[in-house]
Amino acid sequence: MKPRTLFSWMLRESRGALGRFTFFVACLAVGVAAVVAIAGLAAGLDSGIRSEARQLLAADLAIESRRALPETFEIAPLLPAGSRTAEVREMVTMVAAPPRDGKPGRSQLVELKAVERGYPFYGNLTLTPAKPLSDLLAPDAAIVAPELIGYLGLSRGAPGREPILRVGTAEFRIVGEVSTEPDRVGIGTAFGPRVFLSMAGLERAGLIGKGSRVSYKTLIALPAGLPGDRLETIAGRLRDALPANEAYRVETFRQAQPQLRRSFAQVGRFLGLVALLSLFVGGIGVAQSVRAWLAGRLDAIAILKCLGLRPREVLALYLGQTALLGLVGSLIGILLGAGVQAAVPHLFPDLIPATLLRPWQPGALLRGLGLGVGVALLFSLPPLASLLRVPPSRVLRRDAEPLPVHRATAGFAFAALAVGLLGLTFAQTESLLLSAQFVGALALATGLLAVAATLLARSIGRLPRFSSIALRHGLGALARPGAATVGAIVALGLGVITVLTMSLVERRISHELSREVPGNAPSAFLVDIQPAQWPGVQALLTRARAAEIESVPVVMARIRSIDGRPVDQIAAERKEGSGAPPDRREEREGRERREGTENREERGRRWALTREQRLTYLEKLPADNVVVAGKLWSDPNQGEVSLEQSFAEDLGVGLGSKLGFDVQGVPMDLVVTSLRTVDWGTFGINFYLVVEPGLLEDAPQQRVATARLASGSEQHVQDLLAASYPNVTFLRIREILGKILGVLQRIGLGVRFLGGFTVLSGIAILAGAISAGSVRRGREVALLKTLGMTRRQVATAFAVEYALIGGVAGLLGAGAGAALSWGVVTRGFELAWEPEPALLALAVALSIVLSVVAGLAASFRALERRPIEVLRAE
Amino acid sequence: MTILDGIDLSIATGEFVAVLGPSGSGKSTLLALMAGLDRPTSGEILFDGRPIQALSEDDLARLRRAELGFVFQSFQLLGNLTARENVLLPLELLNAPDAGARAEELLAEVGLGDRGHHYPTQLSGGEQQRVALARAFATRPPILLADEPTGNLDGATGRKILEILLGLRERHGTTMVLVTHDPAVAALADRRIHLRDGRIEREERSEGAPLPTAAPLASPLSETAA
Repeated sequence: MKPRTLFSWMLRESRGALGRFTFFVACLAVGVAAVVAIAGLAAGLDSGIRSEARQLLAADLAIESRRALPETFEIAPLLPAGSRTAEVREMVTMVAAPPRDGKPGRSQLVELKAVERGYPFYGNLTLTPAKPLSDLLAPDAAIVAPELIGYLGLSRGAPGREPILRVGTAEFRIVGEVSTEPDRVGIGTAFGPRVFLSMAGLERAGLIGKGSRVSYKTLIALPAGLPGDRLETIAGRLRDALPANEAYRVETFRQAQPQLRRSFAQVGRFLGLVALLSLFVGGIGVAQSVRAWLAGRLDAIAILKCLGLRPREVLALYLGQTALLGLVGSLIGILLGAGVQAAVPHLFPDLIPATLLRPWQPGALLRGLGLGVGVALLFSLPPLASLLRVPPSRVLRRDAEPLPVHRATAGFAFAALAVGLLGLTFAQTESLLLSAQFVGALALATGLLAVAATLLARSIGRLPRFSSIALRHGLGALARPGAATVGAIVALGLGVITVLTMSLVERRISHELSREVPGNAPSAFLVDIQPAQWPGVQALLTRARAAEIESVPVVMARIRSIDGRPVDQIAAERKEGSGAPPDRREEREGRERREGTENREERGRRWALTREQRLTYLEKLPADNVVVAGKLWSDPNQGEVSLEQSFAEDLGVGLGSKLGFDVQGVPMDLVVTSLRTVDWGTFGINFYLVVEPGLLEDAPQQRVATARLASGSEQHVQDLLAASYPNVTFLRIREILGKILGVLQRIGLGVRFLGGFTVLSGIAILAGAISAGSVRRGREVALLKTLGMTRRQVATAFAVEYALIGGVAGLLGAGAGAALSWGVVTRGFELAWEPEPALLALAVALSIVLSVVAGLAASFRALERRPIEVLRAE
Repeated sequence: MTILDGIDLSIATGEFVAVLGPSGSGKSTLLALMAGLDRPTSGEILFDGRPIQALSEDDLARLRRAELGFVFQSFQLLGNLTARENVLLPLELLNAPDAGARAEELLAEVGLGDRGHHYPTQLSGGEQQRVALARAFATRPPILLADEPTGNLDGATGRKILEILLGLRERHGTTMVLVTHDPAVAALADRRIHLRDGRIEREERSEGAPLPTAAPLASPLSETAA
């Protein structure tokens, strides 16, 4: 048969089936919309970051580090003539308003940024007054985020009477306000508002060299008109000239913020899976629609076969029809998804940096189209396989039912479905392992739900008969063989699982993070305390009635060697072990994004080797440490160090290993004589590396401290500290936990939003199942009405049936959701699980209400029919 | 359960054979076997001397599309196609040139030249059967199999349909096997086969009917219900 003929047959075969296909299309469109919205947002952000890459870096390339460039390092000879550089320093620190009436001014944790003239080379700051940054930033001037002025209770003043800000030991005039900066993506995870100083201003503040964690950045602008490939050459030259370890990172704008993009990609991938779930659930609806459609086409199929259509042509006809419908559903889904994608930045302005978003993402639309048509075809394969076995002799004998599908054919259809779903998931996640886990888990959940739904429906059929006619009919309808309710229950149940699990996990973690810090755990961290300041700080805390004041010294050091082998060499070997030459960084990052966890571990292990280490020295370990191997301070002949167990694994060392340290220029060799586990959940001060007392006392050091402050007194203590010890950074645990909670809630919102699509799919499937049975239902209504049932009674009987479907789906979903959240909470987050009976009950209730509303809406036509219309048509 | 047993029957080219018998005697099954819609559990069906019971589903479908036409008691039109599209269907299957013109011509021939755009539900039973006749003769099949074509029609309409059917057969020189309850209809055939309980009870030949010259459809066969 000619393809054109086949195509026109497909269109003809679809005539008069609009109502039936509505649910096919709806099931698919909902899932495709979810996929397209997520893919579009993810791709839109990625391409936004790429196209704004130069502005986001504010330079062509940058050297970033936690330490200053080596003194011997000369940058100018490595750059082409005409290049410009600008130094940037960033740190988290306290600032305060000046004291008033003898009381300390209000203080605030801020993100301080000191910049040299030239910053930013690309992109613009939004400043008030609208003058160049370097013109405003005199050594005694600061530019701050507008909200800081409010936090500190300052008032804006005319030139000459500007408000004063204390940073470190110096005072600054607030000469302007900054609302946006090109190289800071506003996704609300900042520690505090921004404060800009000049380099000279930072010097005046006296914060550098007091142990503060400063991040150093050298921004480089290359002369205009330089060929594009020179960028990588220059970056390579810089990398070669810098010490060969991970401390210095050379980033070009072409790499376009690999870390930022990686985090967005990870979130995108996770949410993409949730979206895919609603598409796959929609697939169940597709299968159900196709099955119902074909059941009504058996005669037509027999006629076609009788007229000489070959079985494979029949299959092609209906497969083509499915593809066509899949196309329509996907196109509608794409429109919906594009709408959602456009609406999300407006609905949730804090969620996504809207300025970075590039809304037009044809790739995402194509992905939706491919996944939609793919799901439609795959899920329709098992029902379509039965076409092959429709006997053409049915034209002569109406009772000739389709023969059972050959086992091989059915097996093939299901295998194709499984492999196809795996392929589609792989297309979405680009990880085979993750895809297999996802499809496996989905198959398991679907199977369990189906079995449970079948068993429940059957046992309901065995219940004693109720006196209420509506209840009796409703129960009977659910238990009736061939009632297409299992699909609806499974789909609705999966939706409930998704939404509920996320809600339960999120609530549990929110609760954990937002409750009062437990027992005698500290409520504040104090860092960067100079040893000489400690007695004063301690006295201040005691006066403020702080409890549980603890403090330990911190010595910064680097690991130089392990068992005599330099760490740079070990790190380089580990890098090669991960299989990428250093100049193929971009490619490696691409692959790391795809392969996910393994490489993150690999990076973590390299970082453990080369990062700046914090050491402390203690005679006795804190109570939340448990020695699991070796013995603490057991060897009088050698300097000893005790390692946290998982950190030792990252380093690749064990008991007896010799670690060579570089303690700020002084070499020191220590032997690992014990391994510890640490309970990090107590928020106590803990260290990966604890050194035997008597070795580090004379090394340059600061102290960190923890204290438990009465709730409400934190701001006062912070103000006092900021006034007397401006270099000390005061971190409120509640606030930090709040930040973490904020991120979690954003992801949770996304999951619940997408989970809502799954519920919608479930509802569409339920409505589809009801509508597919509308002929039978119409006959039933007619009979019941003829026998004297009122319309209200019939509607009640139907409502009972739908309520039962919703109730069963809700109960199963709630049970599975509770079980799944238990697993995630206890295994994933290692928290105690708490039942949330109210939430579970709400889920069941909502599921019931949705089913009843959707079900009655779908049976409206059947309910409206007059009995005579139906009986006459018989 | 054995439905047909020991059937030994040949039908000659151009012959018009009527198959009679009470309900359950195996008439429709015999027709289904001849059409390759069913397979015998034992025995042979020869089509132009070629056994067809071993053909694949695909080959049987090809055989039906090229060689056979069908008329059924319940018309068996596709409800979602117009009359014209129903007639077009077998022509499109054969990729016939001028299929559209041929369909129009046939519809005119059965007296429905102006009703081609109507759907089956918009036509009376007699009109639907006329569309079915036009469809059956669309590809000029050498053999036509008719299963009680007047069974669902009132007497007058039935006679009209029969008239058209026989007229078309005459013009196309089609070999025809017609299953019927109606002795008056059967009386028009060259030969009448009476079936009872799955066996040929007797055969009658009309006077002046040509003697069979070949045996395109033949063999002692039996059909067992699954």
